[in-house]
Amino acid sequence: MAGKAGKQSRPRKAEKDEEEQPLQAVLVADSFNRRFFPISKDQPRALLPLANVSMIDYTLEFLTSTGVQETFVFCCWMSSKIKEHLQKSKWCRPTSPNVVHVITSDLYRSLGDVLRDVDAKALVRSDFLLVYGDVVSNIDVSQALQEHKQRRKMEKNVSVMTMIFKESPPGHKTRCEDDDIIVAMDGKSKRILHYQRAQALKKLHFPMNIFHSGSDEFEIRFDLLDCHISICSPQVAELFTDNFDYQTKNDFVRGLLVNEEILGNQIHMHVTRDGYGARVSNLLMYDTVSSDMIRRWIYPITPEANFADQEGQSCTHSRHNVYREPGVSLGHGSQMEENVLIGRNTVIGANCTISNTVIGANCVIGDNVTLDRAYIWNRVHIANDVKVKQSVICDNVEVKHGVVLNEQCVLAYNVVVGPDITLQEGTVLSMHHPDEEDDEDEDEFLSDDDVGYSKDKTKQKGSCSSYFIMLFQNEVHGTLQRGLDENISCDNLVLEINSLKYAYNISLKEVMQILIRVVLEFPFQQQGAQISTAQYSSHLLPLLKKWAPVFKNYVKRPQDQMDCLASMEEVFLERETHWAALVKVLMSVYQLEILEEEGIMRWFKQSSTTGKSQQLRRNQGLLKFIQWLEEAEESSEGDE
Amino acid sequence: EIHEPEEVSVWFREGSSCCQETLARNQRFTETPVNMPGADKETDLSERIESFLSELKRCGSGAGSLRGSAETARETTALLRRITAQARWGNAGELMEIIRKEGRRMTAAQPSETTVGNMIRRVLKIIREEYARSRGSSEETDQQESLHKLLTSGGSSEDNFRQHFTHLKANVIEAINELLTELEGTTDNISMQALEHIHSNEVIMTIGRSRTVEAFLKDAARKRKFHVIVAECAPFCQGHEMATSLCKEDIETTVIPDAAIFAVMSRVNKVIIGTQTVLANGGLRAVNGTHTLALAAKHHSTPLIVCAPMFKLSPQFPNEEDTFHKFVSPHEVLPFTEGEILSKVNAHCPVFDYVPPELITLFISNIGGNAPSYIYRLMSELYHPEDHEL
Repeated sequence: MAGKAGKQSRPRKAEKDEEEQPLQAVLVADSFNRRFFPISKDQPRALLPLANVSMIDYTLEFLTSTGVQETFVFCCWMSSKIKEHLQKSKWCRPTSPNVVHVITSDLYRSLGDVLRDVDAKALVRSDFLLVYGDVVSNIDVSQALQEHKQRRKMEKNVSVMTMIFKESPPGHKTRCEDDDIIVAMDGKSKRILHYQRAQALKKLHFPMNIFHSGSDEFEIRFDLLDCHISICSPQVAELFTDNFDYQTKNDFVRGLLVNEEILGNQIHMHVTRDGYGARVSNLLMYDTVSSDMIRRWIYPITPEANFADQEGQSCTHSRHNVYREPGVSLGHGSQMEENVLIGRNTVIGANCTISNTVIGANCVIGDNVTLDRAYIWNRVHIANDVKVKQSVICDNVEVKHGVVLNEQCVLAYNVVVGPDITLQEGTVLSMHHPDEEDDEDEDEFLSDDDVGYSKDKTKQKGSCSSYFIMLFQNEVHGTLQRGLDENISCDNLVLEINSLKYAYNISLKEVMQILIRVVLEFPFQQQGAQISTAQYSSHLLPLLKKWAPVFKNYVKRPQDQMDCLASMEEVFLERETHWAALVKVLMSVYQLEILEEEGIMRWFKQSSTTGKSQQLRRNQGLLKFIQWLEEAEESSEGDE
Repeated sequence: EIHEPEEVSVWFREGSSCCQETLARNQRFTETPVNMPGADKETDLSERIESFLSELKRCGSGAGSLRGSAETARETTALLRRITAQARWGNAGELMEIIRKEGRRMTAAQPSETTVGNMIRRVLKIIREEYARSRGSSEETDQQESLHKLLTSGGSSEDNFRQHFTHLKANVIEAINELLTELEGTTDNISMQALEHIHSNEVIMTIGRSRTVEAFLKDAARKRKFHVIVAECAPFCQGHEMATSLCKEDIETTVIPDAAIFAVMSRVNKVIIGTQTVLANGGLRAVNGTHTLALAAKHHSTPLIVCAPMFKLSPQFPNEEDTFHKFVSPHEVLPFTEGEILSKVNAHCPVFDYVPPELITLFISNIGGNAPSYIYRLMSELYHPEDHEL
């Protein structure tokens, strides 16, 4: 349908084309990452409400006010919802100055795919703006656009992109940790010479050649916030097609800068002082941008402006930045302290304290509720005596009596919590099982911007590394299998495993643990899980002998021996029926001089934590082996 | 039967230079000719209204607005004339309904810009008058009648606007054109009175930048020598622009910080300021710092003169809190680059001050000088009492 609207408007614009092309924009309404999971499972990120208005509306308002006349919205995840939303919005009305086309495909996996499609479909005719569907901004890009055009006129097609930055020094709360960047630029021409993400880096390297590039004025800046708004020439789309490995803008910028001398393309930057521009790239940014919105930093885009022109959303602004939509009722003794936005027809009980909070439409909030930095969406029910601190509560959630939400909790859609529960800091509750989507992960990780969102950083990181470990394990198994089939020497195996270690970024300790596990499970993999203990050991022992040099390479220090034994124990704990084989394995590794008796004794005497591992230690064969070891030790001492 | 394209285009050609200017400006958005079939005309009209609305929403990122309120008044009136010419209506009642409906949206788009609402009320009043004239009753009786009705039946007088007159449209458009001409001349009319108020070797204080005051002072400077002290009007410091502009006309100008207003006041003979709105009680909604200035003037018994064209007169009272204030981005108060401190403090940047009527000596409008106590009378002449609420 959006396409139809486009056709209608085209003949009219054709006349203009000769003198001046209408400004176009590419809006990517998909984040290609899972920062907002599990919220984004039910609703695409671009439609999540920020100060009671969908994020994509802010982006479109920004584009329209900056003079964009044609916008292509690319969606992938839940594209039908985005399409439906846009068709209902003011952007698809015939009077809209900005014609919006929605382009959907399930095949987009990254920004790169979108831009390759832009190129394939030949959508853009001249310079265009590239933004994400979650950018909130009031920057007037016309000056940057003019500079960009000037540069392109001066030196034909050399400058391909102008990135827009906002000054914000380190420590600023609107700075997104993911986007910490170091930029080296030419002070006069504003050309970017070096671009590097700086998160968690202690040392930075600048290539020397950037200081020899002819200019005598350099700036190295760390006080910039990437607004994720860029002015691109049509070449950008072509470059993405030529370099099919470019996935993100980061790849593109770095690739272009590295190949600058070969391709001759340059990237420039524009630093804005007055405007506001930020991308809601994770929940912390959601918190900050919402509070900036309420504190009117993005004027004239403010809650009471009702720029999205939605029926019944006009709110009033009164002292201390308290915004109220029509139909709000406030109980006796309740206080809206400061920076509060309350949606239409929301009912608030008595003696509540509300500050720095956004509440959506049609919510019911009980008595004695304390809300601070809470983001409550639509149709939420909160019972009496609830305390919420810096948390997100999605649509249709029910919070029962006496629940306390500590900092950085997320209650996703339709969750019911309580009564009388205290949720720890950083708890995420969702109706979806966290592992539900693990299969889909594989694709999405490719484009993930590789920093965990710090609220559930541990969780993200955890799942991420275990995923790599699994991959690594499969690779090691493959390598050993090949080594066996093709009779590859142990030195080469070590070499291969080491290179895998770097490829998957696995620590030395983990390498050893995985190696042990792979080798011990090798017979099961080859002969099936049903083999008897005797068959198992008869298969395993020659293998151990064959690969002894590989083990020796990894087991060197006493601590390594302990780790090695611990992982052996772990494997055998999972397979109770084969406990008898453990002794034979220990015996052979002892004889192969992979493990020393001291190590084995120490492991044996270690106070074990679980009943099962104590049971393992009481195994008859094992006790005999230990006894034999002790005797051997004594006799060797006696010899001396 | 209502659409008379030929006649409409004639009216546009006969319009003042301003009208052609707006036309030319509007032509940028759509290259549709004035003469076109009905359906297209309506979409063209609604497109124009939408673009005006979004412009209103976006305008004024700093103090006041990017364009003067005189321009806003002219644009509003030109748009209302276009609505009158192009919208579908059969009688005065329907036209008033259309204008009210669009007017509500326009005022909601930028509540602090009262000129828009004022112009809508003026046009509604024009329609009432033209209708009454077409019906044959004189203006005088109409007003009495409405006052009488206000007391007895209240609000039902619209039933009488259902009669159809062929020439009503042409008459209304002509009257709106007159209004536009009046708007054109307001600044000149005010500055013509300058010599009566400014005498040689006087020290005059003003605050911020008002186009009307600027023209007023420049006009006086052609004949007289005087000294102007400009309070800079932080945080936007429009006073600096004002001072530069005055200097170019060889007026002796001094810029002072806002904090020095009281200290300097003892040397000042007269305070001349502009305003954003004149409220129904004779008070002002003026740029930030004006209240301080007015109090200092009162303390030193210095006369305070307000230059305000008639279109700034609003039937609003100062107690309507919702729309009274305008808070802009706190960037000017505490720059965004400040960093960490921003998350710990709340910064506000209000744009307007309320100045109570008792601090004001005289209003100078395009129709002459008036005391604040007379404002209510002007109000009843300009607007129909039923139009106060759109």
